[in-house]
Amino acid sequence: MIMKKVLLLLLAVLLLGGNMMAQESKPGKTQFMVRGYGFAGLNYLNNADGTDVSYVGSAFAPIFMFKQGDRFFFEAELEFVLEKNQLEIGLEYANLMYVLNKYLMVRAGKFLLPFGTFMERLHPSWINRLSSKPLGFGHDGIAPSSGIGVELRGSAPIGGTTINYSLYMTNGPTLKDGSVEPDEAGMLNFENYIDNNINKAVGGRVGFFPLHNNSMEIGASFFTGKPGDKGSVYEDVTSFLWALDFSYVQQISALKGVLDIKAQYNHSQVSDAFYTAGEEERDTLPDSYTFNNLSSAYYGQISYRPSMLESKFLKNLELIARYSQLSTPEGSLWEAETNELSFGLNYWITWRQVIKVNYSFINTEGGHDAPEGAGNQKSNTLFVHWAIGF
Amino acid sequence: MKKLIIMGLLAFSFVSLGILTTGCTTQREIAAQKSGAELWAQNCIRCHNIPSPPSYTDVEWETIGLHMEMRANMTSEQITKIVEFLQAAN
Repeated sequence: MIMKKVLLLLLAVLLLGGNMMAQESKPGKTQFMVRGYGFAGLNYLNNADGTDVSYVGSAFAPIFMFKQGDRFFFEAELEFVLEKNQLEIGLEYANLMYVLNKYLMVRAGKFLLPFGTFMERLHPSWINRLSSKPLGFGHDGIAPSSGIGVELRGSAPIGGTTINYSLYMTNGPTLKDGSVEPDEAGMLNFENYIDNNINKAVGGRVGFFPLHNNSMEIGASFFTGKPGDKGSVYEDVTSFLWALDFSYVQQISALKGVLDIKAQYNHSQVSDAFYTAGEEERDTLPDSYTFNNLSSAYYGQISYRPSMLESKFLKNLELIARYSQLSTPEGSLWEAETNELSFGLNYWITWRQVIKVNYSFINTEGGHDAPEGAGNQKSNTLFVHWAIGF
Repeated sequence: MKKLIIMGLLAFSFVSLGILTTGCTTQREIAAQKSGAELWAQNCIRCHNIPSPPSYTDVEWETIGLHMEMRANMTSEQITKIVEFLQAAN
């Protein structure tokens, strides 16, 4: 009797197991996967304040992807970062997408903005060839990275080449009026997820691959909207940003490897407005002051990987150089001229795992964080990072 | 300045479309005849290293394909060929 029960139980387990295996081998219409990236390493920083050397292991960015049928897609990226001994969790993006036809898709939610290509495609630590972002992106940057809204985008082959396009509408940036931080009056804040007025920002990008092998891409982007609070004196202030981007990636036999050139120019113009000087600034500024609110930033990067060499060690090495510059408005309290020159030597362990050794020279003239009369400030950084995409 | 930029962007778009619509037949034929393997080698490398087919399962490649169609602005035809190649080589 006991033997019979054991056999029946075994049979049930086998049948159930077989059924489960059959279900696993037959893909359903709903597909879910987790991808993402992270890094760990050592940061060395040397500037006028002294030297700081710290291990860092503070970034983990899982990406959740749901595909339902052939047309529905949902993606979300979380970002876990350690800041001053506290864990901070951010929602990098979360959006739904639907394929309308083979030339057009619509998406809604929080998405990375196609303002140039760096923030949308190149910033993850396992894709970015250097451990830092170029000047003008990220904290105190002039280029928007994400927004909440709706977007139409697509790509089409025409005449042997390819064109891609995007048009979107978001809540748009806000204008820092200086009431909280007087030395940031006139800056745009792109981390604005609840609209401060009824005006929506509009942006778009057109990218063109002139060569049939898609090795070269030239793109132009714009982003415009009113950033001032509704009902405030800044209600009619307008902002207009544009960017040009360039990419050339090609395996060249004569060079025995892959040459990768990337560049982006960002331009930001906010219309004239009067700001109130803080108490600390009233010695040097009138109570109410204005300035030409024009900022620009650009970067150019070249990298070379001798991927066609026979030596397994040498073919996984990569050399990188990047120059970037950021200019913020003359006459503003955050006026600064900053340039950065970085060099890197990477070793690719696999196609998605890299050890990066990067050294940067950064020169800054001005800036709202600088002490008065600080003049030209120099800093050097060395990053040794191990990054992984999964 | 703003008008100049808008006019510049429009001119860029029109010139691009002009070049595209009069593009030579040879280029069009070369592009249309490309295999999934060629497209895989030429497009993935634009942002990151070329992934090997066994990196993900056949089902996962379909999800990644749709993700890349959106993120990397690839055409539907290109991404279909690449996914089919990766699944066949897996």
